Amino acid sequence: MKIIALSLAVLAAAAQAAPEFSGQVRPQWLAQQANDAGPLARAVALQPGIATLPRSYGAVETELRLSGHGLSFVGTEQQQRIEGDRLRSHGWVNEWYGATDAAGWQLSAGKRIVAWDVGYGFRPNDVVEQETRRTLLSVTPEGRPLLMAEHFDASTAWSFVLVNPTKPRDETGANEPALAARVYQRDGSIDWHGFARYGAHTGASIGAAMAWVASDAVELHGSLRLLARADTLASDTTGAALLRSNPWQAARTGGTGQALVGGTWTNEAQLSLLAEAWWDGTALSDAQWDDWATRNRGLAALVGTPAPTGAVAGNLAWQASAFNASTSLRRANLFARLSWQHDKWQPALDVLFTPADRGRVVTGSLGWQGDRVRLDAGLRLYGGPADAVLSQVPTRRIGYLAATWSF
Amino acid sequence: MKKSILCAVLALAAVGAFAQDVPALLKAADKYRMSSDNMQVDTQISVFNTDGSPDKERRYTVFAQARHQSLVLMQSPAEKGQKVLMLGDDFWLLMPGSQRPLRITPMQKLLGDASTGDIATMSWADDYTGTVIGEERCGEPEQACVHLSLAAARKGVTYQRIELWLGKAKHEPVRADLYVQSDKLAKQARFVMDKPAAPTTVTAMLLRDQLTNKKETQVRYLARKERTVPEAWLNPMFLARNPALE
Repeated sequence: MKIIALSLAVLAAAAQAAPEFSGQVRPQWLAQQANDAGPLARAVALQPGIATLPRSYGAVETELRLSGHGLSFVGTEQQQRIEGDRLRSHGWVNEWYGATDAAGWQLSAGKRIVAWDVGYGFRPNDVVEQETRRTLLSVTPEGRPLLMAEHFDASTAWSFVLVNPTKPRDETGANEPALAARVYQRDGSIDWHGFARYGAHTGASIGAAMAWVASDAVELHGSLRLLARADTLASDTTGAALLRSNPWQAARTGGTGQALVGGTWTNEAQLSLLAEAWWDGTALSDAQWDDWATRNRGLAALVGTPAPTGAVAGNLAWQASAFNASTSLRRANLFARLSWQHDKWQPALDVLFTPADRGRVVTGSLGWQGDRVRLDAGLRLYGGPADAVLSQVPTRRIGYLAATWSF
Repeated sequence: MKKSILCAVLALAAVGAFAQDVPALLKAADKYRMSSDNMQVDTQISVFNTDGSPDKERRYTVFAQARHQSLVLMQSPAEKGQKVLMLGDDFWLLMPGSQRPLRITPMQKLLGDASTGDIATMSWADDYTGTVIGEERCGEPEQACVHLSLAAARKGVTYQRIELWLGKAKHEPVRADLYVQSDKLAKQARFVMDKPAAPTTVTAMLLRDQLTNKKETQVRYLARKERTVPEAWLNPMFLARNPALE
């Protein structure tokens, strides 16, 4: 209801300028099969209810878009029923901002999506929005509160952003207050981007990216970012000692880097292959994952000993915190996506592979686009050798079905 | 014998005269779709199945500007918020959810039953060189036409070769065969004029897909007006600007 009230307020403000109005309604069903391996599964097996395993859910999302008279609004209302729970409703504002021009600069203030960088599977220089990548369905992300000034001429663009200006300095990740800048230069078939960010507690980072259309069929891209520090989670406990609190605590990495290279090939029949490789220095190191695995084994070995079952289960459940340390689980990643646009049908198959432990995520999907209705279905499988990190995440399989009606 | 030779010489002379004027012929033909260098054109695409039943419908606003620059705004509910920018041989796409302009290849531009190129490109004179093949009968009803064979003069165009038939008297476009990079016949086009007897503008273009599904696409030009957009609108990063371009 809050979203509808906000929509009406924006609509009223923009009424004089014949505002644009559009939106979509999306019923969706997402079936999740919890993993029977990994620390969380072991914890729940030892003590059912100690942690929540992934559950299936049905939801209806209504997205409204209004713009006009220098104002822009995107809001989402969601009714969701998680398996074994009651129907819950909540809404959020994706974007709500005002924009104006002054002395050749475009100024905007409010909550806004500002998406930067050139990659698909990973975007090291998406330093403002920090959008979740490789989502099952195309979703409108929730923007960030910001003040922005931009200047455009024919082939150059400058952007300066003060993001999360009112949030506490110790907020982490995308919520950290920061000043960010981007310069864009078009140079024929190459787009060049330069980035800089200064976070309230993570300090400075600089980056560069390029996208090059090498031929009619091939596009190549790359992105590099060097950081003074990054937010992460870390544990200094390596053995099987039972602890009274979660050893995985907020921490900061030292100076590190992130890099991505990739390309797409598309033929006349609209068959397209995307391949990317990236290195994420903010992810846990191989040594940290080795320590994590050692502790998991140690804790599992306590089962059947006089150690309290509840304590062992709790310590195992805390080990799942490591999955949230960074946007990438492993530092080295390979990704490939094969897709085909054939009339109204869009089948796609993609694979994320982590060479360090041969873990993988395989996703198959099929989309159908009509005049107003879009149908999407797909299946995502997590797997690899038993000791691979991706084999031990809380979810084993996700299937989904969605219908989107646009108006 | 003397009469035959004379006829042949006259025919060759006629072709020779047209050949010298291919750029002028193309410029004259372009005027039926682009009456000015900088235009705003509202376009409706209707796709029909092989049995004639409607398949899908899309609406676009195209800002076709001088020097091969076009900005296409998708207006249909299913695509609302999508934008394609074409600057010469370079192309960008913006999907509404992401707010991130994405560089795309010429092949990725060739999407759907009417490619972005079909919608956004409305001139031949600047993009093609050609020769006159000769005079032929063409169109419905049949009329005297000039048959031109056109080759792409730059790499970013959607079709590498076009066989084009223009009305002999007024040089209005009548039909065209459109060939892609591999020299496969991709589409056959027919042009619908406002007043067949005294044409002033193309009101629709009918495209028959020859490459995949044989569907017919009707490209209707709903409204045209002269419009020069600000320089900044043609900056790829400007695509992410909202409120929507008006």
